[in-house]
Amino acid sequence: MFDYPAHHREIVDEFMNGRFILHSDKLFEEVRGNEDFYRSFFHLSFGYNLKLTREFAYIISEGSNENLSRDISVFFAILCYELDKNGKNFLEELEYGYFEYRRIDELFENSSYVDHIVSNNKLKDSNARKNLFNEMSRRNIIEKENDESFSFTPAYKVFIEFANELASRKIVDKHNETNL
Amino acid sequence: MRAEPKTILRFLLENFEALRDLFEIQLSDGIVKKEILRTICDKYGSNIQVQLVDYKILRPINDDFEFHSAYFNLIEFITSQFKPLLPETIEKYYLSISKLYQRITEGIDGDKEILKLRVAELSTEIRSFFELVERNTIGLLKETRNIKSNIEKIDYREKIIRASRWIDEYIVPLNRILDVNHSESVANKLSNAGQFVNAKRLSFNDEQLRIQFEQLYQLIMSINDGLLRQSRILTTELLPLIDRIRTESLILTGWIEFLNKPEKYDTPVLLKPVKDFAYSGNVYLNTKEFFEQFAKEEIVYLEDEETEREKWVFNKRYYKNKLREDLPVKDFFGWCANTLTEEYKTIEIEKFFDLASLIFEKDLEPQFPENTVLIEVKTDRSLIRVPNIIVKKNV
Repeated sequence: MFDYPAHHREIVDEFMNGRFILHSDKLFEEVRGNEDFYRSFFHLSFGYNLKLTREFAYIISEGSNENLSRDISVFFAILCYELDKNGKNFLEELEYGYFEYRRIDELFENSSYVDHIVSNNKLKDSNARKNLFNEMSRRNIIEKENDESFSFTPAYKVFIEFANELASRKIVDKHNETNL
Repeated sequence: MRAEPKTILRFLLENFEALRDLFEIQLSDGIVKKEILRTICDKYGSNIQVQLVDYKILRPINDDFEFHSAYFNLIEFITSQFKPLLPETIEKYYLSISKLYQRITEGIDGDKEILKLRVAELSTEIRSFFELVERNTIGLLKETRNIKSNIEKIDYREKIIRASRWIDEYIVPLNRILDVNHSESVANKLSNAGQFVNAKRLSFNDEQLRIQFEQLYQLIMSINDGLLRQSRILTTELLPLIDRIRTESLILTGWIEFLNKPEKYDTPVLLKPVKDFAYSGNVYLNTKEFFEQFAKEEIVYLEDEETEREKWVFNKRYYKNKLREDLPVKDFFGWCANTLTEEYKTIEIEKFFDLASLIFEKDLEPQFPENTVLIEVKTDRSLIRVPNIIVKKNV
């Protein structure tokens, strides 16, 4: 009989529910130790691709959850912008900080990106944002500390990397456009 | 013959991409050259040049073209591509608003028809002023975010020069216009007008004028709130621009570019979980989330009803008989107070009024002495001053 890695069922459950498996989780070592197996397992069984970094692992599919990803991206974009506007080093805050829901509400209520906020069903008010945080918590993008605050897990870096790549691409495009 | 409005709207919808390109050309060059118009028409594979002129979307300027201002404003509005205006363009409203306000105050008791026209004109001017301020703030935010984003990779010195220009020529003067404490500002004039309109809005006999003043008051109040919001953006985000551009981050550049058009970019791919079943591990959180949206956060205090208190039922027959036995009564309200004190030790106001209602009984005749004095009755909740009334039997 084929010998499956330990905690195989748990690992599959976590990934199939769209969760990030974090470095701090005992399952992470199991995935990393069996990277080739899981890569081919998810690809052959479901057509999904495994993404593994030093800090977290997750799987992606063709039929992705675009709306959620866009909402989370807009959330990070506004949060980083507002933190910077308030003189904070947003990367340090994301990496080491605790965020009170009340503070997030203040930042969003005073943001000049008001059109983006009120037109987004996941960001438009405090209750809507709470639902987004629940979803992010389910996926291990944030970790709830208590009823009043949370912190980001390393999974936030997926979105930061997206912003980084977008900027690099835009700068190259602009450079090429200017030199035409 | 002029085209049907629906035909023009359909044309705008079907050719919007081409129109947006033409709009951006005019935004940067101030005019649409005929060669460029041809290139854009070729790009979208349609010959729309004739309709553009027939529908008066573009008007010919010698051999070239420019947008009719109504269509230019429409595309500018729906794409939020506002070019900041120099404060001089906004400052002109100080004159028109001040003048109209002055005429309204001077002619408040004069010709009502002229007054109505002036109030209507003032509303229009205030609305136009606010729209201009709002779009100017949007335009300034866009320009200053571009400096912060620095996609062009301009050096720090050039960034400072550009930022200083925005601050000195646009942001500081706009802030002055919105400074309610500055006596020469439009915001100050609006604040004064608001106070005046508030004082006068209920004092007209003419209903239409009263309605007009009420509407003007509501408009000024909402515009003042809006101006406060714009002023806050200026103070927290635009005026500290020099400080804010000291730091630069590739990530922030990416986010600013992303927020320019969030729908345009493919965001990180996340797995879409398959449908949950009742025994899924997610059901608890999903259900919790579902119910949380109905949860009211306000704390509600419910006071327990006083259970010890006996419910008072007015036994009219009993008290009427008691009163008849005591007739004639020289001080009716004093009798009510004494009766209640004897039976309950305190005078509850509800009981007192019930007893007092006996005075309306047909077989009793109240008499009011000429030099009556007021008698004070102290109840559980108040002190009542009542006249001295004599009650006799009605024969």
